Amino acid sequence: MKSEVRSQRSEVRKRNLSSVFCLLASALVALSIAGCGPTFPKGEFKESIIRLCKKEYKLDVKVKTVGKTVAIYVPLTNLLDFTFALTPDAGEKLNQVILSVTRVVLSTDAKYDFYCVIAHDVKIPEIQIIIIKSVEDVRRFLLGDISRGEYGKRMLIDMRIAPQAQKERAIRDVFDRMKIDAKWQEGVMQDFFMSEPTTLGDIGYWAGKFYIKDVKLTEFLADEIASRIKLSFRDDKVLADSLALKAVKGLYFPGDTSNGGSGYFKVDITAEPRTAEALSSKEVSDGLFSYALKVSYDVMHGYHFKDFDYVEIKSLADGRSSKVMKEDLDNYKPKKTKIEDVMVFDSF
Amino acid sequence: MLPQRFKLWKMHFKLYRTRILIGLAIILLIAASVWGMMSLESFYRNQTLAMMPLQLIMVALNALIFVYMYMNLFRTGGTASKNIRMKSNLVNVKWDDVIGLDAAKTEAWEVVQLIKDRAKVKNIGGKIIKGLLMLGPPGCGKTYLAKAIATESGMPFLSMAASEFVEMFVGVGASRVRQLFKKARELAAGYGGCIVFIDELDAIGRNRTFSQFGGQETNSTQNQLLVQIDGLQEKEENVIVIGATNAPEESLDPALLRPGRFDRKIFIDRPNLEEREKIFAFYFSKVKYEKSLDIKRLARKSVYKTPADIENIVKESALIAARDDKDVIDFKHVSEAIERIDMGLKHRRSLVPKEKEQTAWHEAGHVVVLYLLHPTDDVFKASIIGRREALGVVHRNPREELFTRSKEALLADIKTSLAGYVTEKIKFGTTSTGVESDFNNAMATAHNMVWRWGMSGIGMIGNYSFYEAPNHGSDLAESTKEKLNKETQEILQSCLKDVEDLLKKEWKIAEHIANELLAKEELEYDEIDAIFKDYGKSQTKS
Repeated sequence: MKSEVRSQRSEVRKRNLSSVFCLLASALVALSIAGCGPTFPKGEFKESIIRLCKKEYKLDVKVKTVGKTVAIYVPLTNLLDFTFALTPDAGEKLNQVILSVTRVVLSTDAKYDFYCVIAHDVKIPEIQIIIIKSVEDVRRFLLGDISRGEYGKRMLIDMRIAPQAQKERAIRDVFDRMKIDAKWQEGVMQDFFMSEPTTLGDIGYWAGKFYIKDVKLTEFLADEIASRIKLSFRDDKVLADSLALKAVKGLYFPGDTSNGGSGYFKVDITAEPRTAEALSSKEVSDGLFSYALKVSYDVMHGYHFKDFDYVEIKSLADGRSSKVMKEDLDNYKPKKTKIEDVMVFDSF
Repeated sequence: MLPQRFKLWKMHFKLYRTRILIGLAIILLIAASVWGMMSLESFYRNQTLAMMPLQLIMVALNALIFVYMYMNLFRTGGTASKNIRMKSNLVNVKWDDVIGLDAAKTEAWEVVQLIKDRAKVKNIGGKIIKGLLMLGPPGCGKTYLAKAIATESGMPFLSMAASEFVEMFVGVGASRVRQLFKKARELAAGYGGCIVFIDELDAIGRNRTFSQFGGQETNSTQNQLLVQIDGLQEKEENVIVIGATNAPEESLDPALLRPGRFDRKIFIDRPNLEEREKIFAFYFSKVKYEKSLDIKRLARKSVYKTPADIENIVKESALIAARDDKDVIDFKHVSEAIERIDMGLKHRRSLVPKEKEQTAWHEAGHVVVLYLLHPTDDVFKASIIGRREALGVVHRNPREELFTRSKEALLADIKTSLAGYVTEKIKFGTTSTGVESDFNNAMATAHNMVWRWGMSGIGMIGNYSFYEAPNHGSDLAESTKEKLNKETQEILQSCLKDVEDLLKKEWKIAEHIANELLAKEELEYDEIDAIFKDYGKSQTKS
């Protein structure tokens, strides 16, 4: 009798359990269905950014896409103060645009790798602020995969005079002096001087037109190395006291794939010694290369990028240059590996 | 039809409102989650969904840890009682299954009829019985009868042992009583009635103590029970409380026993001869037994046995038969089972021949006197195999139920006890310490005869032991005590002489039995009876 009662009770228990299971399963199914589908479909991608900026922040922006890159033009007023620093108001508006773009780029089925925000003051359109970000970096930051500090280092921020404006001013000056008819000037300008950009440095917005290119990861990484070296000079007192950084440029040269070559990165640093002792100091020079090496390692390692043969670092001030092979860079351990173990110097 | 259905729905809601509300809350939360997810942008939605399995695991883990800690730290403080409800169709004890409790059944049947048709009583203007108390020794079928009542009335049956109410925290028991009756009322509203069965009622029904040193929990639990039973009457709900206890009625609190609470008391006593026969027949019907087995004789041999004892005897007999590799149970197995239950397992000690002989003669003396002189008891078995502390034993059992003892029976008890001593003295010219328990019994009986029951030959009557009670102080004069004690010794000496005379007269029988015991170690009643018959003796009848 007891076993009968027990079996009936276990039946009831089983029924209860199965109804609880059904309830949970249907909840999961409902949630999964709710999770399907992008919020900003591919076909409405550009309009979504424009609508979001307008609706939520009352900002009028323009959007253009090239390949896997999105460019957003933000016209602002009072972009810079008299010290040429970004005004708080402009900074807030830029952040709002970046946030809108981020939201759309992350919640769409359109595949974009980079986005580029171009901001300028409508009164002085020649001066522009260009911010380039990798969509993957943004995603990883939001998922907590990279720190805020690292995320900050991974974006390219540049304030510059629009290259197109510089060219136009110089050419128009030539046209004026040559007294060329105005109706020919526009044609020549369009054909020869307002061509599409080939480097990240050429990206901009001028005279109602986007100058934008499809950003490649290699050139983005090359520029990021240069950007990080600049930041090292800002943050490291010993380096800054010894050397004055004049310029740093990162480039990527594609290899000859038919020979099995992948390409290489080249970093040109122009840093002048501040003192006579520093000029002849190997220690100071080694310090510079050591920084460049660590930055290269951080970038390649951070992006798990393997498609290159070596990184060439060149100090234009003393003509010293060095190559770091990919394998050596892979084995490099900051604070443990000696610079001589991984770098091969051409001269000193 | 519809009002009935509405009543059932209402009852279900009342019964399961916590579950229903939790279910509704879960559905609402799920709906809110879906709605919230829909309003999220797909990236954040995917991020949330991706984290959900981990969150579910974490929540489940936290819940497990919490429940484990709660169960371990506060389990004794929890007020939630166990699943106490049983559907009457699951109780599965039919009215006809209750055997041998004829008087109790007749009374209980009336209660069943009242539960089933309360309208009849109401029409007459009578009040429904709300409480039924079953009293009686353990193992007599109180719980069994309560279950049968539940089955017969077809009502929900809530069963709880009173000890389950009692906790170390004051108020927990009272809370459980409230829960129990709340559930009973809800079930009664839906099914038209409900039976609450509280087993071992004495755990909360004892006389309340009003002391600052504890007892408050029992008091508060009992107070709550009283309030709840009274509450039932006010609301006129068809809830019957059945209490069962094997404690004496006097030990229960008078408040619990007053009319209006446990109105009806059913005393469930040990079964009589006829009932025992039915019970034996019932339990033997479930096992294979030799058809020659005389169930009537077994019923006679098991005076004062409860139904539980009889069930145990049959169960034990089956085990013994199985151990002996037999297909059916025979009388020997039953006899051994009774012996095992009454006297414990055999404990074979290696005795030196002299001691063994002394034991055999000692037991033979008991057998002769018991057989020839005792007016009410029979020899069941004699044995010189040790059990517990005893080296030998003469197992006896009364021929019939007697609820009082006559002077003659008491004197025969004393003589039987002294027989071992006398036999040792006659045979060996000396005695052993094996007489201690015999003397204890003989002296206690003689003492009570004189001190308590007025059976002395000097005419002193009254219960003198009352004035010697530990909490009363000694009010008796030393001379009175001396007289009483002298008379006690007189009884013992008189019995001793009678035993000596008898044993000397029947020495051959004693010798025969002693030799048989030395040879066989154990003698059944039939073998003993045959020996006496060989010498032309028959058993004394009362």
